[in-house]
Amino acid sequence: MTGSEHLVTRLPNDIGGLSADRIEQIDHELAPWEKRCHALADVLDFHKIINTEEKRCGVEALGAEMVANLTYYERWIVAFSNILFRKRILTPTELAKKNG
Amino acid sequence: MAASPHEHDHPHAKIGDADRPGYYDIMETAVRELLIEKKLIGADEIRRQIEVLDSRTPALGAKVVARAWVDPAFRARLLANGRRACEEEFGISFYDDTQLIVLENTDRVHNLIVCTLCSCYPRPVLGLPPDWYKARPYRARAVTEPRAVLAEFGTIIPDDVDVRVHDSTAMVRYLVLPRRPEATENFTEEELAALVTRDTMIGVVPVTVSKEAKK
Amino acid sequence: MRTEFREATGARYGVVYAANEQPVFRPGESVRVLTRIPLAHYRVPTYLRGKRGVVDRVIDPAAVDNEEEGFGRNVGNRLYYYRVAFPMREIWADYAGSQRDALYIEIYETWLERI
Repeated sequence: MTGSEHLVTRLPNDIGGLSADRIEQIDHELAPWEKRCHALADVLDFHKIINTEEKRCGVEALGAEMVANLTYYERWIVAFSNILFRKRILTPTELAKKNG
Repeated sequence: MAASPHEHDHPHAKIGDADRPGYYDIMETAVRELLIEKKLIGADEIRRQIEVLDSRTPALGAKVVARAWVDPAFRARLLANGRRACEEEFGISFYDDTQLIVLENTDRVHNLIVCTLCSCYPRPVLGLPPDWYKARPYRARAVTEPRAVLAEFGTIIPDDVDVRVHDSTAMVRYLVLPRRPEATENFTEEELAALVTRDTMIGVVPVTVSKEAKK
Repeated sequence: MRTEFREATGARYGVVYAANEQPVFRPGESVRVLTRIPLAHYRVPTYLRGKRGVVDRVIDPAAVDNEEEGFGRNVGNRLYYYRVAFPMREIWADYAGSQRDALYIEIYETWLERI
């Protein structure tokens, strides 16, 4: 027993019931890329290239540190990239070259 | 616990040159362009979906609520099958293939919606959720202390009214049907809809007759 | 409700239903969330494991298990989700609000047992 099981058995998004601060009623208008990212998610789900549940699973798989430090849509696009690599639709080299 | 104690749901990305796209912006463009080049998606599909998203705002939900207030038969259909009633009455499509359960607030019951695991939200009828709905404090506490959460929004629910919290986890989405405020008997349906804000359909505040429409 | 109608009607004509074609739990039944601890992907929050509630309704039609869907299953193996009501006092021993407050959530058939 290493004492690390809790990191494995509780997903970083499974926060119902955990301690938390007062609610800050923050909101922001989506940046254009964020809206495109949301549209991309919907289109990927329509084609079942990445369904919505796969997206959620991909975000969870980023792990606690990334989940805590990336914003909502940043998590999505990184998760999409990972899933597309795993499905062999894109390769890391292809994406890195395209990123410029 | 796996969740970091400080979840930084910053509304804005890092500080940088406003004209140059950021790291994730570039990544989104690269992924999208590669998928289009490989003919897995079309550029027109993305453009169209952005228009779909822009067309779904709380104003749509407000129309549904106002219709339910003035038309008892529609209200009954809405409570029986939220998705079908919205589709047939207003042509609201459920492009994400979710179902809709409409939750009626009464003098005995107050409803509140949340997604503790992610950010499930009735997007086809309300548009995109606010940041606070997707952030840790609301998601963690709405299920443990809903009355305290409501109080932070200025909403006090008396003890003789039951609070019901609805945690979305699968393919059902929720919309709160708030109570019609008093002294609105002479309001037109349009005037009633103008009173209904996004937060009243999440369930954190009641509908009030106020000069300023709060978001 | 559609499924019950099929049963009553089908019985009159000797119709036998396929395995997994009918919901296992019905509205009003008392159920308990299992205390299984899956890896990698789950949609039943930890705060509900082992808790007891009452089935509010069956979600129709049957659907793919979202734990499988998360790994790419888009069709097949469809079972039912159930909307279950849990008294807040059942979930949180020190719940401070009204004893009549409740939580509602959809739970997949594989996560419930009858009590």
